[in-house]
Formats: sequence, C-alpha cells, structure tokens
Amino acid sequence: MKQTSKKMNLIVGWILFILSIGIFFLQIGFLFFHERLQFEYIDNRLFYVLNMIFVICLFIAILQLLNLEKKWKVFGAVVVLIFMIPNITMISQTNKEIKNIISVSPNFQHVLSLKENTKTGETYYYRSYFGILGRPKEKLPYQTNGRFKVDWLTDDIAAVTYKAKDKTVHQYIGTYGDRGTGISYYYVAAQIYGVWQGKNARITNETEGLSVTVNGRTEIYKWDQVVQFGTLAIVLMKNNEAVWTIALNKDFNVEAAEKGETPGTILLYKATMGKTEPILLKRISSSM
Amino acid sequence: MKKFVITISLVMVIGLLLGIFFYNQTPNQALPDIDPQPEEQSIDETPTQPEQIQGIYLNEQIGYSLQNDRLQITFDKGKNWITVPIEKDQLFAGEYNGNKQELIDHSYLLTENRTAFLYAEEPSWDNETIRILFTLDQGKTWMNSVVTEHYMGVRFRKVGFVDDQFGYIIISGGRTMSQEGSNVFLTFAGGQSWQETNNSGVSRLIADGGFVDAKIGFLSFGTINPEAPELYVTQDGGNTWKQATVNIPSEYDKIFVQSETPFIEDDHLAVFVNQGPNGDYKGGLVKGKFISTDKGNTWAFSMEVSPDEANK
Repeated sequence: MKQTSKKMNLIVGWILFILSIGIFFLQIGFLFFHERLQFEYIDNRLFYVLNMIFVICLFIAILQLLNLEKKWKVFGAVVVLIFMIPNITMISQTNKEIKNIISVSPNFQHVLSLKENTKTGETYYYRSYFGILGRPKEKLPYQTNGRFKVDWLTDDIAAVTYKAKDKTVHQYIGTYGDRGTGISYYYVAAQIYGVWQGKNARITNETEGLSVTVNGRTEIYKWDQVVQFGTLAIVLMKNNEAVWTIALNKDFNVEAAEKGETPGTILLYKATMGKTEPILLKRISSSM
Repeated sequence: MKKFVITISLVMVIGLLLGIFFYNQTPNQALPDIDPQPEEQSIDETPTQPEQIQGIYLNEQIGYSLQNDRLQITFDKGKNWITVPIEKDQLFAGEYNGNKQELIDHSYLLTENRTAFLYAEEPSWDNETIRILFTLDQGKTWMNSVVTEHYMGVRFRKVGFVDDQFGYIIISGGRTMSQEGSNVFLTFAGGQSWQETNNSGVSRLIADGGFVDAKIGFLSFGTINPEAPELYVTQDGGNTWKQATVNIPSEYDKIFVQSETPFIEDDHLAVFVNQGPNGDYKGGLVKGKFISTDKGNTWAFSMEVSPDEANK
C-alpha cells in the first residue's frame, strides 16, 4: 500500500515537473520571439498567471520527487512566495494601464480579444491564435470609455457594443467564419434580399436601402449607412451611431440564397449597452 | 537525480524571474501603433476607385461601368468613357434583386451602331414609366422615347433590334407569386415610337422572347420549375399569338424544359431548349436544339449541344 502511494507520488511529481518545464519554455519562447513575430498573449495578464502556475507546479513536483528536510521545504516555500509577489503586483498593475476584454465563444472555438489603453481610450481588436496568443488586427475607430458589452450572436459572430468618449453607441463585430464557400467575398446586404419577418420585426431589402420595422416603427437605412464586417454581419448606422446589427445565422447558406432557394435565417440585434436578445427572422418573400 | 531536479528548478526559477524583469522593461504593454482600418466605411465606398474605372467588357473595345453610381460606356477599350445621361437606380427600377454591379441581362444594347438602355421612371412602385434611351452615334447625341406609362413593378426586360428600323421590347410586371403580365412593344421607326402588340394572354412568368423579323416573334414562359417548354409564336407581328408545339423526344422529357429565343438558321428556324434553373442532365448546361420549318409552329428535335456551341 505504501509502495503504491509512493509510486503515485512519483508519477504526479514527474508530470508536474514536465508541465513546469513546458510552461518555462513557452514563456521563454514568448519572451524571445513575441516582438519579432508580433504576437502577444490575448490577455496581457496571462504571462503572470502562467508564471504562477509554473512555480506552483514546480514546488509540488519537488515535494513529491525529493525527500527534503523541513528547512529546505520552508526555503522552497519562501522562494515561491518571493516569486509570486512581483507577478501578483503586475497582474493588477497591467490591467490598470491596458484593460483586457476577453470572451470565449459558446463552442469554445474562438476567443474575442480587445485591449484598451485606458489613458488614451484607444482600443485594439486582436485575432486569436492557438487560444492564448493574439495579433492586433485593427483599431476601433472611436475612442472608448472603458465599457464594453460582448454578446456572441452565433458561435462565430461576436458583437461588441461600446460607448465612445462622445457618448455615442457603436458596434464592432468580430467574425470567425463564413456562410459561403469560404473562398470569395460577398456582400451581406445583397444576400439578404426580400422580406424577412420575425417576432414584432420585419426587414425589407429595398432599392434604396434596408427598411427595418420593429414594434410598428419603421426606419430606412440607406446603403451608405450600412457597414459590413467580415462576410457575416452588417451594422446599420444613423446619426453616426450604430442602431442595429444584422447577422447571418448559423443556418444561412449563401449558395442557396444565390440560387434563389430559402437561405436560412438572419438575426437582428439592437445596439444598446443594456441587455438585449437577438431577434430571429425568416424570409417570407424573395421580392420587395 | 536530486541534484538534477534542483539544478533545473533553480535555473528555471531564476530564468523566469529575469524574464519578468525584462518583460517589464520592454514597452510590451504599449499597444501597437497600427492605423485604424477604414472599418466604419460604407459598402458602396469599398469597391470604388474613383480614378480608375474597371469596366465590364462585352468585346475587345466596347464596355460599360457602373462605378461611382453612374453609367459610363466606352467604345475604345476604356481610353474614353462617356457618361450616359441616366440615373443608375432607374436602370434597376421595379422588381430587381441584385447588387447593381452589372446591368440586367437583355435590358440594354451596346454595339458600335446602336446603344440603348431600358429604364423606368418610378414616382411610385405601381406607376412606372418605361422608357428607352438610345444613341446611334456612340453617345454624341441621345434620344429618349416612352415605351409605356402606368406600368407596375417591371421584372423581365429585354430590348432587341432586328434591323435599323424594326425593334422589339418585351417587359413583364405586376408579379404576384408566380403570375404576372407580359407585354410586347414594337417599333418600325428605329426606336422613336413604340406600339404595343396584342397580348398573348399568358400569365406565367416569362423567361425569354424575341423577334426574328417584323412578323415572326416568340415568347417563352416558365421560370420556376418548368416541366416542358411553353413557347408562344406570332406570325403576324403580334396580332395573334398561339402556342407552338415542341416535340420533345421521350428520353428528353422533363429534361429540356425552357425554350430560349428562336433564331434564323439557313432556310429554317432553330431554338435552344435549356434545362431550366434546376436541370442536372450532363451537368445541367447541355441544351437541346430544335428546328422548325413552318415559321415556328412546330419544332422537331435536332441534337444535343454543349453550352459552348449554344453560345456561339
């Protein structure tokens, strides 16, 4: 019995030891290469979190693997403590300067990452790689005030609603997929021709623009008020503010739409900092 | 082993402590200095390049462009562009579902000797005035004539000229579900004036049509799931219309289902019958060629043709 338990301790010890070596090389690799390859952790705090995981794993591994005297154990604990202090300090410090906004998609396939410079109000959108690394893709066009709301409309469409410094509401849509073959670019507005009906909502694709009727109130958005993100969503603007997002739902098929068949459903999502649910719309007519 | 584990552990701990130090020294926390993408930019602006016109060419020399929200044409490979005096939206009035990147097929003629555009003035959806704008001198002078007034929701539109004087316009509109009205207009004055012919009386959706001379003309119906070609013929310039008999061999039954516009070939008439929107016989693009020796009344199967041959 004692033998088995000792064997277990050894296995756990080696696993944790190898894990800590892995984290060590990840961190060192990151330190050496992140500037050259223009990679960052999708959340800047991740560097310090990984350091802490590393030192805890290593400490437990040493306790399991080696028969240390009590004084060496205490010494080890002190080293761990000394190691932890700068990391904990930096975690809170770094988030004051750069605010990290992270949101994982419902199917855990994609990560939306935003980093805001809290002093200047500049916010950058990051594309994620391997779940933990990210590269800056673009800067949001308005200065932000630190409040962001992220909702995943589907597994591959994240809607970020934020207020600019001048209190106007804007939306940025992170898109991580495609509803066509994935090869060609297409215009979302052109794909959703016809009349779409949902609960208390209707969208009509007209010659001069998109007409959106919600609870009996109709507003027309001309084509120059329509902004496309990726190939999955458009944001309708009025008076320099985002009003609605229209997104192609997961069941939308661009090829079917082009053939004139029923293409699937779309989602209408209001641009507001409050809680709101996307409205599902189905096509009821393919003509205006 | 004890030494090994402790040495490695110490190296790693010291390494990472130095790492934290260096990481905080480098300005890693400063966000990148990239220019904002033109993210909140309108769809219309994205593809336009105001200086350089990317034309859509019909042959080596002649082409058009709908860039910058206006219609421009060229007869010299894009060296000179002539702006057509027409609003872009009027070219797509009525029932049109598309991105307005290209003109509607058949709704225009663009040749050296005659350029014409069908369009609609649209004070309201159910009160359109269908007009044709044309030039015979490559855009130096333009003429404009009314084809019909008080039209509703024009859908299909086609203009064609058989010779300098005789031409035809076929339009359809007022569609409800799969029913609509279609109308044929003829000119014997080079497009200056247009007269409507008698109506064919068919209310199915029109697929194509055309005249081979001033007397003999055709209308082809059935755009949604056609099962057999429905070709109507007139032999008296549109006074009377009757359904032509297209004899489909049994092996091509429900395969060749949609007639295109007949044309003169040697001493007889010929027509391609295609597979409609859902055909999948030999890839869906092979057409059947049919021949008529009685001015379009009856049609007999001649052969299968590949799409390349049919487009010659």
